[in-house]
Amino acid sequence: MSAVNPGERLVITSQTVMLIILYLFLYFPIFYITYLSFASNSVWPFPPEFTWEWYQRLGIMSDFHAGLRNSLIIGIGSGVVAALFATIAVIGILKYPMRGRGLLIGIYLSPLFVAQVLIGISTLMFNRNVLGLPGHIGSAIIANGTYGLSFAFLVLMAQLLRYDWRLDEVAMVFGARPARCFFEVTLPSVWPAVLGAFVVSFLLGFNNFDISFYNLGAIPTLPTIAWGTLRHGIEPELYALASIVNALVFVGLILLYVLIRSGYVRLGVPED
Amino acid sequence: MSATALTSLRHDQRFRFALLTFPGALFVLVFLILPLLSIVVFSLWRTENYEIISDWNIENYKVILTTATYLKFLGRSVLMALAVSAICLVYAYPVAYLIAKHGGRFRLILILLTAAPFLTGVILRVTAIQHILGPIGLVNMALTTFGIEPIEVLMYSNIATAIGLVYLWIPFMILAIYLSLLNFDFELLEVAKVCGAKPWRAFIELTWPLNRMGTMIGIILVFVPTLAANVTPKFLGGVNGSLYGNILDHQFGATGTWALGSAMGVVLFVVSLVFIVIVWRSVNLRRSGFTGMESRQ
Amino acid sequence: MNNPVLRIDRVTKRFGAVQAVKGVSLDIDKGEFFAILGPSGSGKTTLLRIIAGLETPDVGTVHIADRDVTRLPPYERRIGMVFQDFLLFPHKTVSKNIAFPLKMQGVLATGQDEQVRWALDFVRLTEVADRYPHQLSGGQKQRVALARGLVARPEILLLDEPLANLDRELRKEMEVEVRRYQVELGIPFVYVTHNQEEALTMSDRIAVMDQGLFEQVGPKLEVYAKPANRFVASFVGSANRIVGSLVDVNGETASLDWDGEVLNVVRPNGAEKGDRVELFIKSERIRIDKPGDGESVNSTENRIRGRLLDIIFKGQYADYLVRLNNGAEIVVSDTPDISAVSRSDEVEVSWQVDAGDCFAVKGEATPQVSDN
Repeated sequence: MSAVNPGERLVITSQTVMLIILYLFLYFPIFYITYLSFASNSVWPFPPEFTWEWYQRLGIMSDFHAGLRNSLIIGIGSGVVAALFATIAVIGILKYPMRGRGLLIGIYLSPLFVAQVLIGISTLMFNRNVLGLPGHIGSAIIANGTYGLSFAFLVLMAQLLRYDWRLDEVAMVFGARPARCFFEVTLPSVWPAVLGAFVVSFLLGFNNFDISFYNLGAIPTLPTIAWGTLRHGIEPELYALASIVNALVFVGLILLYVLIRSGYVRLGVPED
Repeated sequence: MSATALTSLRHDQRFRFALLTFPGALFVLVFLILPLLSIVVFSLWRTENYEIISDWNIENYKVILTTATYLKFLGRSVLMALAVSAICLVYAYPVAYLIAKHGGRFRLILILLTAAPFLTGVILRVTAIQHILGPIGLVNMALTTFGIEPIEVLMYSNIATAIGLVYLWIPFMILAIYLSLLNFDFELLEVAKVCGAKPWRAFIELTWPLNRMGTMIGIILVFVPTLAANVTPKFLGGVNGSLYGNILDHQFGATGTWALGSAMGVVLFVVSLVFIVIVWRSVNLRRSGFTGMESRQ
Repeated sequence: MNNPVLRIDRVTKRFGAVQAVKGVSLDIDKGEFFAILGPSGSGKTTLLRIIAGLETPDVGTVHIADRDVTRLPPYERRIGMVFQDFLLFPHKTVSKNIAFPLKMQGVLATGQDEQVRWALDFVRLTEVADRYPHQLSGGQKQRVALARGLVARPEILLLDEPLANLDRELRKEMEVEVRRYQVELGIPFVYVTHNQEEALTMSDRIAVMDQGLFEQVGPKLEVYAKPANRFVASFVGSANRIVGSLVDVNGETASLDWDGEVLNVVRPNGAEKGDRVELFIKSERIRIDKPGDGESVNSTENRIRGRLLDIIFKGQYADYLVRLNNGAEIVVSDTPDISAVSRSDEVEVSWQVDAGDCFAVKGEATPQVSDN
């Protein structure tokens, strides 16, 4: 570590200020919405008056339960699809250094470079005019699965790069057959990353609008309900919805952090 | 021993590799590429009474590329995307730098915190921003309460859309630059210092070029979705704030002009692709991120 | 050799266009510590991996304890192995790491505990049984790796440059330790390294390997003192290399012209007057004296005068850098208390004629393979 001279100190300070402003920028709206969700006056909620009303109204909103259920299904469905495909793909790519690797990585990351809207409308058209299917959850799961696959891939890649694939060879030398290698050596080190990838893909699918919107037609999801509410103007039930979702994401974030941290230990990364 | 037994170990490896990596790749190819190809096809057909008729023609493209309105919206979107990408770049770089270089054991939590809001979905985020910026949003309501005029430009304007888009996509830029900086040897800057380089010089000579790949990825990751933005401009942009994405969305909603919409989608894709290629070549034409390695061309 | 524990017969391995191992044969006996010494790229690690079963040879066979294991996967070979980067399982404790081979063999938990305890005692590391690899030092990790390799009493233990990642002091300590393990357990060790000091310290027999071939195989003293060809002569031990042409040949001896100095050398097989040859003389075989100390020159000895450039003190000995009268520089290793000489002094270096190894430049002497 070098000595920090005044010039550098200025740089670090200004960067820190920028970071703090960024966090405020990112999170203040979120906190404000949560605050609003408990406030009886949504337009100018000062001084604060606490109420559960909006949450109750959310609960009885016609599509809410259906939307919640569908969002969960899409989230879990696309999460599982993404995590599964991404896990075996990352293991294959990292374990067997073959020549086609670069191309394959490109394929797995390609959804990131296609706008979600495009994914949505193209799957809509494909389903409708090629397969002759109306909007349905399956196609939403698949479409979200492709998008989530890229994220799952990145999460797994970032974590599993730290894993020493030669350990499989070591296990083999000491008597483990290939399947046993996987369960004794690879899986224990790797499952936090897999779960982390699932969490990320789940949240993306659960909260997705642009892709699911086109695929589902009239079938509600939480984001489409939110969108519908937003179009009609300000309805505080929306804030309650937002707060719930944000809380969910927050829980997911903590889980992700714990998983990645535990992954560090399992993979033998020393503390900074 | 037979020759097949001899080479089986090598084939075995290749087989296992394929078994693990092909399914997901196939999945992406079928469910991403195939639908994209299908809208290319549809873009060359016609819509009648809300149905696609397979009548090959390039009318749709003619309309898009010659009608001023479409071009205007496309141009607006491109400008917006460029502006938002630039803003994100300028702001994300110092922040990512700070976390990567000085974050220490807090790096993970810091970077996760920047990424987390992205996971809450576009609708909720736009709602949140609207409640800060909009006419009855916090900023303006606060001003009104204290008797000050609300800031016009913040509500229902392109500026609001821009702020909203930065709000949405800056996490991508931060993440891309951060991941690149993680692999950057900051000690090189110490070397530069000893050789007499002032900090700004060191940045231009070392940090920027060696992280160009990550930076370009970040720019692409922000540009592409911003170009296609429709939710954000709809709720923040106001009456005159529509962008290309809105018109695109329109084709699949009220008007039901599927073929034209497909063509618009293809145009959108092509513009994105052109941008990606331009950015990609700008990385490869100079010395790439790995010191001493001259890239092709 | 009767009943060798390991027999490799004409093993060849190619990777694409490159032949990593070119028809190598070897027998290793039960009580041997066998080192395979070679520079990087020599094929030694590939050979070891073939013995382990991590690679399959294109041609040739591998037998371990009379079983043909050539096509067998590693997990059926009953071997132990120690790796350069330790490669301990990061998510398992030390005990679980060591118990792993036993677990794979289906040994019951109680049996595992007993053996693990034995192994930890053996490498003198009982106190870290419940720690994780990332909590251990380099030396501790290597001992755990050794314990894991030995716990299942394999037929043979393979070691792939295990000490390469340890610092110098630790390495010297471990060299003695590892040798002790082999002697106490009585199973053969096959030890691959590029570090000749390790090989010479620990082994009984050495194979010097270069570009996929064994250049020489034999007891270590023989490989050291009687190199079979120029590669072994230059790779093993620190030798001065002298190149010149033969000006005269006379039965078993010859005269070499070295930039004006005439040296007596042992004549290489089939070399004639006028041939270019290389002479390797190990620095510790050369003596350094004050000039005029010695007797008259005789034909069993070479004596040359020069000036001392520098003395590099190495503790138990010193390297003397001498510029000889013919302009060439030579390194002499001798005891450090030749306090009589200091820098810039005139000195005289001398060595016995048969202390040097001389080889013709084109067409080396055939590599010698020694059985025991």
